Amino acid sequence: MTTEEKKKRAINRLKSMYPLRALVDGMYEKAVEASKHGEPVAWCMVNWWAGDTVLHAMGVHTVHPEDYGAVCAAFGAAQNYLDIAGSEGFPSHMCGYARNCLGYAAKLQQMDEIPPDAPMGGMPKPTLLLGSGYFCDTRYKWFQALGRYLDAPVWVLEMPHPGVHESRIEGAVQRDISFIVNELKEFIAFLEKLLGKKMDWDRLEELVDATIEMNRAWHEVNELRKARPCPMHSRDFWSSMPASLYMAADPRETAKLYWQMRDEVKSLIDAGVGAIEEEKYRLAFAELPPWHSLKFFDKLAERGWNFVVESWAYHPPRPLDLSGISDPLERLARLTYQFFAGYFEDAYDSGDAWGYFAHPYLELARDYRCDGMVLHPLLSCRTATNHLLVIQDQLLERLKIPSLVIEGDIVDLKMFDPADALSKAETFEETMDHYKQVRKAEGMEW
Amino acid sequence: MVGKTEQTVTGLARARAIYQDRTRRINELKAGGRKVFGYLDAYPVLEMLTALDIIPYAILGDLDEPITRADTCLPTVVCPFLRSIMDLGLKGRYDFLDGIAMAHSCEVAEKVAHIWRIYLKPGYAHFIDTPHTTHASAIRQHRELLQEFKNTLESFAGKQITPERLKQAIALHNRQRDLVRQLYDLRKPDPPLISGAEMLQVEIAVMSLPVEEGNELLTEVINNVRERRDVPPLKPVRLLLWGSMIDDTALLDVIESAGANVVIDDTFVGTRAFFSKVELTDDPLDDLARRYLVGIQNPRTFRENPISDGRKDYMADLESRFGYLKEYIQEWNVNGVILQALRYCDIHAYEVPSLRDYLNRIGLPSTYLEHDYSKAAMEQLRTRVQAFIEVIG
Ligand code: SF4
Ligand code: SF4
Repeated sequence: MTTEEKKKRAINRLKSMYPLRALVDGMYEKAVEASKHGEPVAWCMVNWWAGDTVLHAMGVHTVHPEDYGAVCAAFGAAQNYLDIAGSEGFPSHMCGYARNCLGYAAKLQQMDEIPPDAPMGGMPKPTLLLGSGYFCDTRYKWFQALGRYLDAPVWVLEMPHPGVHESRIEGAVQRDISFIVNELKEFIAFLEKLLGKKMDWDRLEELVDATIEMNRAWHEVNELRKARPCPMHSRDFWSSMPASLYMAADPRETAKLYWQMRDEVKSLIDAGVGAIEEEKYRLAFAELPPWHSLKFFDKLAERGWNFVVESWAYHPPRPLDLSGISDPLERLARLTYQFFAGYFEDAYDSGDAWGYFAHPYLELARDYRCDGMVLHPLLSCRTATNHLLVIQDQLLERLKIPSLVIEGDIVDLKMFDPADALSKAETFEETMDHYKQVRKAEGMEW
Repeated sequence: MVGKTEQTVTGLARARAIYQDRTRRINELKAGGRKVFGYLDAYPVLEMLTALDIIPYAILGDLDEPITRADTCLPTVVCPFLRSIMDLGLKGRYDFLDGIAMAHSCEVAEKVAHIWRIYLKPGYAHFIDTPHTTHASAIRQHRELLQEFKNTLESFAGKQITPERLKQAIALHNRQRDLVRQLYDLRKPDPPLISGAEMLQVEIAVMSLPVEEGNELLTEVINNVRERRDVPPLKPVRLLLWGSMIDDTALLDVIESAGANVVIDDTFVGTRAFFSKVELTDDPLDDLARRYLVGIQNPRTFRENPISDGRKDYMADLESRFGYLKEYIQEWNVNGVILQALRYCDIHAYEVPSLRDYLNRIGLPSTYLEHDYSKAAMEQLRTRVQAFIEVIG
């Protein structure tokens, strides 16, 4: 790229983002290599560190078929797998990533090897499947359904989902933490039996602490984005988040990279440099972005739209001091629980009944001083969609922040129409301007 | 106390009247000072409500009511049954409820529990975070969650649920389960003595009444059905209906008018709600925890996959997941299965290919239907239903 072209970039990308992204890209090849050497590989659903950390401590390599769905969609490989899943009788309204994976697994079984056209080297045959009860029914039903093609056993890791009010009942939090700890113990016993080896508790201890550290570093990066102008755009967030979310590498290595990112962001703030040239509007983006059309954000950047914060569900948990807890499983359980319930106390105090998915967006929009939110309902991912109307409604009613809805999908990439979305930008700017005045009149700080 | 308006008709006719107007009797009971709580799906523990003299009332949707208001809080890509109940709630149809009990019966139902609270502000609301698995730790957790539910109900009601009272309530609900079973037994002859559509009406009526009154109604219906002369006609096909929420007779009418008798089901308003009983020991809370988590057959609960030599045995897995259906099929002499799921119902959609593998294995023909919870959608299924019945008839 010439210097001239670099200058024209509407969004300043962070240098520290690239090594984080490389970790994720290397995840698949590493697993394929490991599998060739007879090492165990698990296909995992997102489990917010609880399961991945245990697996890594047991020497199991992990890949995430949810992420692989995005990879296949981006490489144009998904349609073939979706067609196979359709012909196998899986209804088309199911999660697009799941259908992609079911088609992939059917092909893997049929060919008895990784399909040669599989992007990023493919996912090797798993030793086990780690489903999770986290947020989405697909995350365990999908893996159960894979039994048609794979003889890998499935373990489903439980995760409590209390309501805000229920979480305030005396003893409820401790009970839920104990539940996660007991679940992890049952999972470890299952793994020990399956793999014929014992847990390396020292290694687990180290990895748990590194996972906590990794999330702390990642949290600090995101805290700095409250600065005006915001030095880190959502595009960098999305490139960097999978390293944490999918535990793409040893968390000790990942933590170092996030600290480097924190330093870079800090130096940009000190120099007064924003992620875009002139930050006229600060926006939040709800749910997964249109991966294939990320240039769309460049066009918005040219109009002065800076995306300063994203879905709560991809952010690290709010930090909490776990140093006084001696049991590594309890530290891990508390970290995962904090991710889920970290906003519950605030939600309760504000009278909100939905402490995850709904309330955190209100806080993020307020804390990052957003002028608007872009909501991206995803046709074949209901989990990322079913809360958006409530958020739209509550944001406007309580914070006078308007939202722009742009429909898309996780595998049918044509669903997202950047030209149509851009055509709405001007009107939405007027709406944002209007509500800026309304907020001012109501005495809000931004 | 039986209301005057209801005394004129009995048995099946009374069940039909309640099915057609679910609010009349409940309003009479409310006027008499009774408290009524709405519950969603099979997981809120009804015995606890009964033990406090609170009437459990199933929250159901309405196929005849176009969804308009729910568009403000639930997108069109979620389960249309849940959109329907939210819509009815926003239109005031459930304003008479004194409280609600919801559970983590599926992902969207869990979210609806929160959304209901945000928009409808019920006087009492409790969410039971029913675990997803039958792990030992999940059963223990469930017991604790039921203890918590019990505590909140007691503070709402201002009185305790004594162990005796809880056992009585369990006995009443178990009696109801026995009575429903007896009625299902009357579907074993050929032709069955009660049609699938009538059965659904009775079950919905029972879910709209206090348990004692539901039991009286069931006794009447059983006697009525045993003696009836106008039994459903003999048809060559006896079907099992499996899948998502069916709370209207529309689909059953389509199937039964196309030349088949639906003789057994595997749906919420049916065997899932009534077949599993509470096995009483000296720890009723544990008994309830087990019944509601392990006892209820429903694909939302993940059951362990049998493993040999570190590998999962798919056929053994199918047997452990669907083996109970073989009993239904044999006992009710079923010769075909209709699988149906509401569009966007993941819990059921994922199950379809594996369940069909299982049915193929035991040599039973099946078909899969998908619909969007409207009368028009049910009607559009007629040709496919007819074709399926012709193939096996
Ligand atoms: S539905 Fe969405 S959240 Fe659930 S597994 Fe699929 S992509 Fe992930
Ligand atoms: S029909 Fe399916 S999605 Fe709807 S409430 Fe029932 S299980 Fe949930």
